[in-house]
Amino acid sequence: MKYIGEEILGLPNRQLAAGKGQFVGDVQLDGMLYMAVVRSPYAHARIRGINTKPAEEVPGVQYVMTGKEAFERMNSITESYDTAAMGAKSVKWYALCPERVRFVGEAVAAVVAEDKYNARKAADLIEVDYEELPVAHDPEEAMKPGAPLVEPDWGDNIMVTRDFLRGDPDKAFAEADGTISGVVKAQRYTGAAIEPRGYVADYDPFKDMLTFWASTQNPHPMRVFLAETLGIPETSIRVIQPNVGGGFGLKIPTFQEEPLLAYLARKLARPIKWIEERTENFLVGGHAREERLYYEAAYTKDGRVTGLRAKVIADVGAPSALVGWGMSFVTAYCIPTVYKIENCRVQLFTVVTNKCPWNAYRGYGKEAASFLMDRVMDGVAQATGIDRAEVRLKNFIQPDEFPFPQVSGAMIDSGNYQATLSRVLEMIDYKSFPKMQEEARKQGRFIGLGIGQELTPEGCSMPRSTMLSGYDGCTVRVNPSGQVTVLTGVTSPGSGNETGIAQIVADTLGADIKTIKVLQGDTDTCPYGLGNYSSRSIIMGGAAAQVSATEIREKMFKVASKMLEVAPADLDSEDGKISVKGAPTRFVLFKDVASTVYRDCYGKYACDVEPGLEATRYFRHPNVYHQPEIQGRFSAYPSWPNGVAACIAEVDPETGFIKIIRYCAVHDAGRIVNPLMAQANLHGGIVQGFGGAMYENLVYDEAGQLKTATFMDYTIPTAADVPSLDVEHMETLSPFNPLGCKGVGESGVTGPLGALCSAVENALPHLKLNFNETPLTPNRVWQEIQRAQQRGN
Amino acid sequence: MKVPVKVTVNKKNYNVEVDTRMILADMLRDELRLTGTHIGCGTGSCGACTVMLNGHTVKSCCILAADADGQEITTIEGLSTGAQHLHPIQEAFVENQGLQCGYCTPGMVLSTLQLLTDKPNPTEDEIRHGIAGNLCRCTGYQFIVKSIQEAAKTINSKPAASKPAAAAVASRG
Repeated sequence: MKYIGEEILGLPNRQLAAGKGQFVGDVQLDGMLYMAVVRSPYAHARIRGINTKPAEEVPGVQYVMTGKEAFERMNSITESYDTAAMGAKSVKWYALCPERVRFVGEAVAAVVAEDKYNARKAADLIEVDYEELPVAHDPEEAMKPGAPLVEPDWGDNIMVTRDFLRGDPDKAFAEADGTISGVVKAQRYTGAAIEPRGYVADYDPFKDMLTFWASTQNPHPMRVFLAETLGIPETSIRVIQPNVGGGFGLKIPTFQEEPLLAYLARKLARPIKWIEERTENFLVGGHAREERLYYEAAYTKDGRVTGLRAKVIADVGAPSALVGWGMSFVTAYCIPTVYKIENCRVQLFTVVTNKCPWNAYRGYGKEAASFLMDRVMDGVAQATGIDRAEVRLKNFIQPDEFPFPQVSGAMIDSGNYQATLSRVLEMIDYKSFPKMQEEARKQGRFIGLGIGQELTPEGCSMPRSTMLSGYDGCTVRVNPSGQVTVLTGVTSPGSGNETGIAQIVADTLGADIKTIKVLQGDTDTCPYGLGNYSSRSIIMGGAAAQVSATEIREKMFKVASKMLEVAPADLDSEDGKISVKGAPTRFVLFKDVASTVYRDCYGKYACDVEPGLEATRYFRHPNVYHQPEIQGRFSAYPSWPNGVAACIAEVDPETGFIKIIRYCAVHDAGRIVNPLMAQANLHGGIVQGFGGAMYENLVYDEAGQLKTATFMDYTIPTAADVPSLDVEHMETLSPFNPLGCKGVGESGVTGPLGALCSAVENALPHLKLNFNETPLTPNRVWQEIQRAQQRGN
Repeated sequence: MKVPVKVTVNKKNYNVEVDTRMILADMLRDELRLTGTHIGCGTGSCGACTVMLNGHTVKSCCILAADADGQEITTIEGLSTGAQHLHPIQEAFVENQGLQCGYCTPGMVLSTLQLLTDKPNPTEDEIRHGIAGNLCRCTGYQFIVKSIQEAAKTINSKPAASKPAAAAVASRG
């Protein structure tokens, strides 16, 4: 292999560095109109009436639409995560709310005008008469009988529950040497891609064709959703994904503005643009994370965890058609992550409140499970007096125990957790740390070390799902002149998989990578595929590319074997040449074989192969069980990348300010196709993790008003806030994936949670701090220090 | 209401009529079709819309187009002269993978231009503070910092007369 495993620069780098990318906001069409959305100022209210007249009188206003029209003329928005398949309650969600709003920002009306300034002005003039309703704000309050109901038809606020059980936890607790308990709290936060969402819709009534440019991760599923919501044929819609300015899961459909804009463009037969404002993005662009995890763990005095009870309470916001609520399920599904705990009970309560709905965000609930287990392991270390790393080593699933069935039914493919932990401890010089800490203390500085373990299952494959079905397609086309076009069903919102897929195709064909063009994100040209989510673009899309390219290679070898008068099995290809194994001077050029197939299909070399050099093949992952496997379990994640971080942080007890001094991570995602891109993804993931661990917080008040809806209130890490990171990869290959790949996209984002909490506690051991809650803002850290001092620690 | 605006952008003169509510970033993008200037927040927080106004970086979402009348502006499009002729800073971002989705990149490149004009040999800490007004959500900044270090080396290794357009642009203010 010449390219797989090499640091190949991103194929779109030049275009993007020159400012010549084409993002959705850059799409400019003749006669284009602009849409502005009227949003609910209340977290829960009934719409008594809407007066659109003042808006209609604004110059340039072409159309005003309310929820009544959405209800009468459109279907409810198709769910991107099938609630019925998961036994969860559902709602009918419309492009504009017809009678009731359930969170601040939910769309109630839309204005289309000649320019965006007048569209906004007109939207602001629309008078909506609301009757305020009681608000469900806190998830645990919302679970109680008599709480205000987000959906009155449901009878309660619980969307779905799960109860996973293995072994006999009661017995384990009764027989334990000791137990610990606590609650881990993750705040509500989000991905905040620098490019907000945006769409441009253009309808040609003569061709009956709606062209829809979307800053989305999933053009093909989006087309299905638009077709179903608008009640029109899929073949009358073309979704184009231009360059996307970051997704991180938040640009997975389906949002209200998508069918809304598509409907209006068809109705008016004019192109219309809608670009989300940053505050809109914070209000409605999808939230994540807000979970409380109550836990009790039973341990032996030698540090083995023999029992675990965990209760996950997830506040998924208002129910919608978005995929986000599934993250709560994944948290429960992943517990107890990399550890083998024989007696385990994991309960899940997915609760709805009058807040923004969750949408997918990097980590997808896995981060909370790993954060919980870090807290459990550190707690057991504290209670037994055994070293934190040692406790983890004692409890890991062993390398020879894979595939390992987890409590939830998850089938973990492979891993070597001992090796990654040992390596990261070497990198951070774990053994010398106590001395370093002592030296620092002499200088009046408080430094601490923490460990954060992460397990991020990837390639999500859910039953009966449009969006998450877990397969993908790829077309590989060798053109008559020998250059290669690759059309993928997966997409890249800046994650670099187009480069990885080019590497895989180049190696499979033996072609020069410079002759390969990868095209993505167009439903009219690319094969049907599910797009980008769950780090699947290489494990699913890359594997599909490999299968397609293999078919073409076999065909080309067949022709080349006649040209060279050897058996196909004796051939090899590299650098655009197909040569005889062991005799590299006997070769034909790749392009000459292509030319022969296209230009001489009745000739002696190509007469017995089908003309053309194009294959579209699909890949389905072997390690998925939708029909019960031998133990009656289902498994939705085929691939289980993992990693571990070790972090040294300094705490200023006077201010509560934390400075990260050193951050090392070892990551194992099986085969790494492009170490440069993997590294880049890890850096980004880790720094988003720092944001979640230290800064970012979507704060609602009791009336359900979001108080942090700009980048001035919702602070994400800047370059000055973070250190250089030290990241290494290990490659424990997936036994189920043809490339051995496991997925990298969500890696790194989890480690900082456990590592930083642990490091802060470790920096001030005399205070016996217990940080089970993020973010570790200076304010919170300082308050905890004050409390500990008042306790006399 | 519309007002006439006369600006020089990337050394080219433009006369346009703009809505008084229009921000400079929108004028560059929608009127002049220079879409390399991106908008990420509209509140001057993210830096995606960074351009040079009279030789100094500004956030073009926080300036009204009408206020740019008579001024000289450089956008990302003014830094390169073609796909194979990028500015050394852009080349460094390409070669060091100092970008992923590319949305923050134009602003990041222009802030780098300002930084390297002010401090030709910045330390890592100076680089990190120099770009702290530009948010990136993909890279974790590490390869951006590396790109800037490499760009500084390339620019400093060139004789003064052939220093990039960068320095020339900046000195005009």
